[in-house]
Amino acid sequence: MRRRDPLLPNAGIIARREYRDRTRSPLFIVSTILLAVLAMMVAIAPIGVRLIDRQSVSRLVVISSDAELGTRALAVAESLLNSPPAGVDLATWQRPYQLEIGSDPETTEALLSRGLVAGIMLVERQANGGVDVRLRTAEGPTSARSQILSVAAFGVGVLDWSSRVPSGALAPFVTPTYTVESINTATDGGAPLDIRQAASRYLLGIVFVILLLISIIIYGMWVATGVASEKSSRVMELMISAASPRQMLAGKVVGIGSAGLTQYAMIALPALILLAFQDRIASALLGPDWISGAPLGGLTAGLLLGYGLFFLLGFALFALIYAAMGSFVSRPDDLQTLSLPLSLVAMAGYLIAIVALGGGSGTIVTLASLLPPFSPFVMLARVMVSAVEPWELVLSIGLLIAAIGVVAVIATRMYAAGVLLYGQRPGLRAFVTAARRA
Amino acid sequence: MSLEIDHVTKRFGTTTALDRLTFEVGRGEVFGFLGANGAGKTTTMRICLGIIRPDSGEIRWAGQAAAVLPRRTWGYLPEERGLYPRMGVLDQLVYFGSLYGEPPDRARREARAWLTRFRILDYADRRAEELSKGNQQKVQFIAAVLHEPEVLLMDEPFTGLDPVNLVLLRDAFTELRDRGRTLIFSTHQMEAAEALCESVAIVDLGRVVAGGRVRDLKRASGRRTLRVVLGGDPAPHWLESLPGVATVARDAIGADLDLLSTADPDAILAAILGHGASVTRFDLAEPSLEALFIEHVGRAPDDELAVSTDRGTASVTAGGFA
Repeated sequence: MRRRDPLLPNAGIIARREYRDRTRSPLFIVSTILLAVLAMMVAIAPIGVRLIDRQSVSRLVVISSDAELGTRALAVAESLLNSPPAGVDLATWQRPYQLEIGSDPETTEALLSRGLVAGIMLVERQANGGVDVRLRTAEGPTSARSQILSVAAFGVGVLDWSSRVPSGALAPFVTPTYTVESINTATDGGAPLDIRQAASRYLLGIVFVILLLISIIIYGMWVATGVASEKSSRVMELMISAASPRQMLAGKVVGIGSAGLTQYAMIALPALILLAFQDRIASALLGPDWISGAPLGGLTAGLLLGYGLFFLLGFALFALIYAAMGSFVSRPDDLQTLSLPLSLVAMAGYLIAIVALGGGSGTIVTLASLLPPFSPFVMLARVMVSAVEPWELVLSIGLLIAAIGVVAVIATRMYAAGVLLYGQRPGLRAFVTAARRA
Repeated sequence: MSLEIDHVTKRFGTTTALDRLTFEVGRGEVFGFLGANGAGKTTTMRICLGIIRPDSGEIRWAGQAAAVLPRRTWGYLPEERGLYPRMGVLDQLVYFGSLYGEPPDRARREARAWLTRFRILDYADRRAEELSKGNQQKVQFIAAVLHEPEVLLMDEPFTGLDPVNLVLLRDAFTELRDRGRTLIFSTHQMEAAEALCESVAIVDLGRVVAGGRVRDLKRASGRRTLRVVLGGDPAPHWLESLPGVATVARDAIGADLDLLSTADPDAILAAILGHGASVTRFDLAEPSLEALFIEHVGRAPDDELAVSTDRGTASVTAGGFA
């Protein structure tokens, strides 16, 4: 029979000490302030993008097999999109759209996919005499540009009808059809995202995944260094008689993880406040006539919650392994080499996540989003930009929690053996023996 | 009620650290665990604490297996000293006390009392790294006793202490013993063990080679030492030829003669006087603990073994702890 120490209260006492030790260090305070400023800059970046975007010229290409219809559509779109606002100085005013007739649909499509063209208007006459207008764009149907062009499509229809019907004759007016074909892969619950939202989500996705990577590696190394320092300062010798390895490991991971969450909250809070006031900031910077209705940030409470959840689970998984590693070195300096493989694993997760953010949805991306230790990064990225089936999310989180359970058992065994290990360079054999025998 | 170490064996790879180690320590005793480096002292203590598991045998306190007893039964002062370097001394003591289940207020009160007693209350709010090694050692001792453990295990508690602190620590030992605590410590310092211990176990290569009450051990050895200081030449060459003298250890003042069990002190005195020497000191004593140690182990306690198995313990251990 063996003594079975309950996790509490000792794990709590250890967690409290670890938390205080971290959050009171000057390094913690300085890095929190720096990162908070960085996050605020990122939060306000979309407004800056809009500010620049406002001054740029968008290129629209009209393609039609009927040259006359094409010219007519160009004229209508030109009059709607490029009409100068009241009160502007016409001498200096620049037309926001450059409209042109295109001839080769394939070449134009290629330009669209590369972002060199904002949209293609495909105008054709239907069998019933009506006009069909298709707008191929990276934006969604609710974007301001798509809305204006729906009016243009109607105008083209009216002009076309009036030009074809002889004066005085009775011919029914066929309402033109107008559809928006979004080439953008970013979706929200299956619905394509507006290009600004999509761009914002992509940007946020990168920020989130980088934040996750940095926080897992930095806070994970905190755990490993904490364990290694306790060994090198020999205070571990006192600790091992006062608390069980399970209590020590849980206390360390929870304490340092909480310190990480505190830092995360302190970084995210000012950025969120900025986002809450983004309408007012945008009005002040862009003027009262800025196109309202299109969200600037694309950041939702759900996404923040998702980040929080994947941070917690991802950190728990990696921190347990970092702690076991820390227990196998005698000096914190040795950690750099030992922790490299684990950092590379985290880095691999990050790289797959970047692929997922770019719209990648192959088998590797799907598998990596389900399987630990990559899932915290990749699933977070997929959630940011694309539709994820509920079962995929549940499976991913379930597998992650199961992996944490298994790793916790193995890490505790390795930790128990490792903390008494001095003056020996840890090899793979030492890890395996420790995990099996302890 | 006693601590029973019952045929405990522990191997690390091919090294046998403990070989059916057996001894008993009575409640309220101060017990010396004497042995050279690698004798198995640290391993025994770690098994008591449940940090490592024995391959066979059992350790019991008051009839119960040590492995199932609550942690606060034990206090442990490890040989390798260490504290959290940047943590305040008092905070650190309260932290360790809390881990052993002491309410923070009580732990704080007790810690202040101990710091006062060890004359380091002024350092209560200082970081541990600002303290001298000796003072850090005293703080560690307080961390081990703050929760009033029934059994206090100490690995080389006197190492690195100056004479003043040595006396403070010895006084603390005596007081804890008077309060009914059982104290077990390992040491190389035979004078300290001689001054404090009622019983000892002398261990070598994981086995008890001699053990019991110090007085009984000395009597049983049959050996006596004669301290002789002579006028003129303090240690003449003919001392070895005196009847019943086994060995002679000379120093600047006189000589210690190790006597055979058959030696007659009166005959020795007569022989010295027969050499025409004047005797200023002639003192017959029981053998020192160090002499007993050498007699049983074959070398002095601070002579290193060729293979240090205690260090080996640390480097090859894969046994987990509870």
